Amino acid sequence: MYNFDFEKPESVADAIAALQGEEAQALGGGQTLIPTLKQRLASPSTLVSLKGIAEMQGVCMGDDGSVCIGGATNHATVAAEAGAYPALADTAAHIGDPAVRNRGTIGGSLANNDPSACYPAAALGSGATIVTNARQIAADDYFQGMFTTALDEGEIITEVRFPVPEKANYQKFVQPASRFALVGVYVAKYADGVRVAITGASNDGVFRWAEAEAALSANFSASALDGLSLSGDDMISDLHGTGEYRAHLCAVMTKRAVAAA
Amino acid sequence: MSVAKPLPHDAAHLHVTGAARYVDDIPTPAGTLHLAFGMSTAACGTLNNMDLDAVRAAPGVVAVLTAPDLPFDNDVSPSAHDEPLLATDAVHYVGQPVFLVIAETHLQARFAARLGKIDITETKPVFTIEDALAANARFEDGPRIYAQGDAASALDAAENTLSGSLDIGGQEHFYLEGQAALVQPGENGDMHVISSTQHPTEIQHKVAEAIGQPMHAVRVETRRMGGGFGGKESQGNALAVACAVAVRLTGQPCKMRYDRDDDMIITGKRHDFRIDYDIGFDEEGHITALDVRQYTRCGWALDLSLPVADRAMLHADNGYWLPNIRIESHRLRTNTQSATAFRGFGGPQGMLGMERIVDHVAAELGLDPLVVRQRNFYASSGQEIQTTPYGQPVEDFILDDLVAQLAKTSDYDARRAAVAEWNAANPVLKKGIALTPVKFGISFTLTHLNQAGALVHVYSDGSIHLNHGGTEMGQGLFQKIAQVAASRFGVALDAIKITATDTAKVPNTSATAASSGSDLNGMAVKAACDTLRDRMAEHLAQLHQCHPDAVVFAEGRVQAGEADYSFAEVAAMAHQARISLSATGFYKTPDIQWDRIKGHGRPFFYFAYGAAVTEVVVDTLTGENRILRADVLHDAGASLNPALDIGQVEGGYVQGAGWLTTEELVWDDAGRLRTHAPSTYKIPACGDRPDIFNVSLWDGENRADTIYKSKAVGEPPLMLGISALLALSDAVSACGPNYPDLHAPATAESVLASVHKAQDA
Repeated sequence: MYNFDFEKPESVADAIAALQGEEAQALGGGQTLIPTLKQRLASPSTLVSLKGIAEMQGVCMGDDGSVCIGGATNHATVAAEAGAYPALADTAAHIGDPAVRNRGTIGGSLANNDPSACYPAAALGSGATIVTNARQIAADDYFQGMFTTALDEGEIITEVRFPVPEKANYQKFVQPASRFALVGVYVAKYADGVRVAITGASNDGVFRWAEAEAALSANFSASALDGLSLSGDDMISDLHGTGEYRAHLCAVMTKRAVAAA
Repeated sequence: MSVAKPLPHDAAHLHVTGAARYVDDIPTPAGTLHLAFGMSTAACGTLNNMDLDAVRAAPGVVAVLTAPDLPFDNDVSPSAHDEPLLATDAVHYVGQPVFLVIAETHLQARFAARLGKIDITETKPVFTIEDALAANARFEDGPRIYAQGDAASALDAAENTLSGSLDIGGQEHFYLEGQAALVQPGENGDMHVISSTQHPTEIQHKVAEAIGQPMHAVRVETRRMGGGFGGKESQGNALAVACAVAVRLTGQPCKMRYDRDDDMIITGKRHDFRIDYDIGFDEEGHITALDVRQYTRCGWALDLSLPVADRAMLHADNGYWLPNIRIESHRLRTNTQSATAFRGFGGPQGMLGMERIVDHVAAELGLDPLVVRQRNFYASSGQEIQTTPYGQPVEDFILDDLVAQLAKTSDYDARRAAVAEWNAANPVLKKGIALTPVKFGISFTLTHLNQAGALVHVYSDGSIHLNHGGTEMGQGLFQKIAQVAASRFGVALDAIKITATDTAKVPNTSATAASSGSDLNGMAVKAACDTLRDRMAEHLAQLHQCHPDAVVFAEGRVQAGEADYSFAEVAAMAHQARISLSATGFYKTPDIQWDRIKGHGRPFFYFAYGAAVTEVVVDTLTGENRILRADVLHDAGASLNPALDIGQVEGGYVQGAGWLTTEELVWDDAGRLRTHAPSTYKIPACGDRPDIFNVSLWDGENRADTIYKSKAVGEPPLMLGISALLALSDAVSACGPNYPDLHAPATAESVLASVHKAQDA
């Protein structure tokens, strides 16, 4: 590790102020950022920890019935406290390993938008609202390709609001060594339609599978997906699996998510 | 007697409390320097020049060496003198050491090593078997061929024929303790090397050459390794030699350990193979003709590839009588890590090829593969003696009895029927079951390596200092040998001090390899103990007017005539009588001779046997799979220590199953190894072992005259894992009419591809 300054503000306003500095970087649970720094792939001069901000911690119910999660809430807390949205709690309970779940935060995960992370699928699949210090961003507008989001420089996720669906389920096919999602499919059925979000597969990061959504909105059953498939052409092809294999898994995992929802 | 007792590993309490010392745990003297290699970024090319100014200027760097800076031999090869410590005018794989950084700390050395600018004019690399065959890039002048009978004519005459091909992946050793060495300067140019090595004598030899000293100037010590698996037979040379050269230059102690990523990128792995075959067989499944071609990627340097590829040929029969067989072996030179020894040493690849062949025949005939196996077994001992494809008579064959017993205890027939029933009822999850046997030849195929020495001292208080040429890598060798010594002297185990392997105590040793550790060193220690016991017995016999043979050493006591002494009293009396209480012991394996060019002789003293039944379930929509149950019956002869042997059998099975299922090595198009950490390379963890795992030892002693009639147990059980791959194949075969043609490793994606092959009309 190399030298950097560390700040731990106690309010969102102080955090935003601290992030105005040159090469300042927000720090959530550090489960991605710290290894990145160790590998010298990034070298911010100041790390601004968001973990000391009380208003960004915890799970509560919004007036509209949505489950609201503070941006600095770790996965284990979501797993334990988001019982009002069981599929979301279950997703959080299976992210990474215990160390990751007790350190990593939802804001950190969504801000990073790793193409194999679980939370982007949950947020996009739920049509969540990403609340920042400056605005509210619909999930559909938020994810803009792998490791790319609508966040501006110095903007932080203070809260994520998940409308609670009638049914939902997340199915993850893990890469056996790292236990990251080789493919993860989040299916959520709302009164106004079904959303299907897929992580791990596409070169463009998390995405919605429109054909599957249409079929499932008409008939929410696994058989409604018969004959539907995705092309492997734009899928990630790497040492863990080919694009064709990922495309195949997308269809299988979507059916399983529907069946399990 | 302490032999045959299921005693725990002698250092078990040290392992679990963290008190066991490995190289990196040894407190180092002040001023110890640390080393790291700068590595080639290209797979093949001419090394033009290196700009190492930034490396030299990096914090903590004391010196940076390139090939011209090396004072004497620039070679770390265990065989053909073709493996420079630091690249000279060419590079041969991504990760090849090209310069050496000597710095004040480990991390400073590593960081500095990344700052080198290496100018390489890249040339066309050879990566695949096909590339190598096209370029005729190979070791030796052509393929080796071993044969028995006339395979070509028998194929022509066969009732049925079948051809196929099997890809077999390599395997990373993934020893828990990475490669490491610590070298301390002595006076007058002497060096004391502490190395995590299976082969201290080889380290001594290479270090001596590298510093221009006779071997007597170099003392190598190895207390234990945190796993070896063959990966420390030759791969430790580079670190020890680098340290010695750096010590010579700086006068300060030097230590080198590879970080895990560096370890995986630099060091050799198990040889991957492609095995092509043409089979001739009758309607009952008897294999009447077999033509096998083995192709293996040896990597850039020779290392141990010739004996590895030889052993693959020597196990191309496994347990089956093949009157007409031809085996052709191609040892290919590729721009990858130099593949090296790995538990089984080529045997597993050759054996897997044969098991696949039998499985393919059974599928073609619609027979239970176990039945086809049994029909092709060698004749049992006591019946007509049949010979292996390399001319060795199979005199100790027990697989028919052993397999019959395992089939019974594992309830094979009923479970096979249950699997079929399950598969008929379940469209998505398919189960499979397979029973595969192991027959593994025991001895180094290089005959002169089959020797060992020991040094035993009895002190005047009756305590015993034990030393031998074998190394401890977690397998329990030291405990087994101590049990032998305690039994010879009739004393309790706590009277024996097990000491680090040390080239100054026992010289000219062979690697602890080829499963031979207990066989060779046990006999050498027995010889030394018996020499001392005989001296003491003769003295007592004279004192008490009895025959030396009548002096009995048992339970810590020594009886001679009417007299009864403690062992300690006898030791003190012998000392008073000026009897030497120090002795060496020596052993060489009898009855072996081998011509590796002709492919004929008796390379093995005996065979070790075993068999496993594995039941798996496959998700036919994703290819995911699990081992549900494994039953193992393994032949360790009259076990020296059943607890340790069962541990070796369990570990061998799991490591073998990992090799053939989840452990996948991936190189990219530029020849870079992409799986160089546990985040990308999946070894079996504790949770991946079968939920039901029944392991038993065969009740029978070795027919050959080995130490207490035990059998070698290091490598053979790895091949029990073959049953996992063939059980997966069996499960996939339930998906459709075609032979699954499942390759190894059977990752989920590979299993899914196989499912589609089985289903395709």
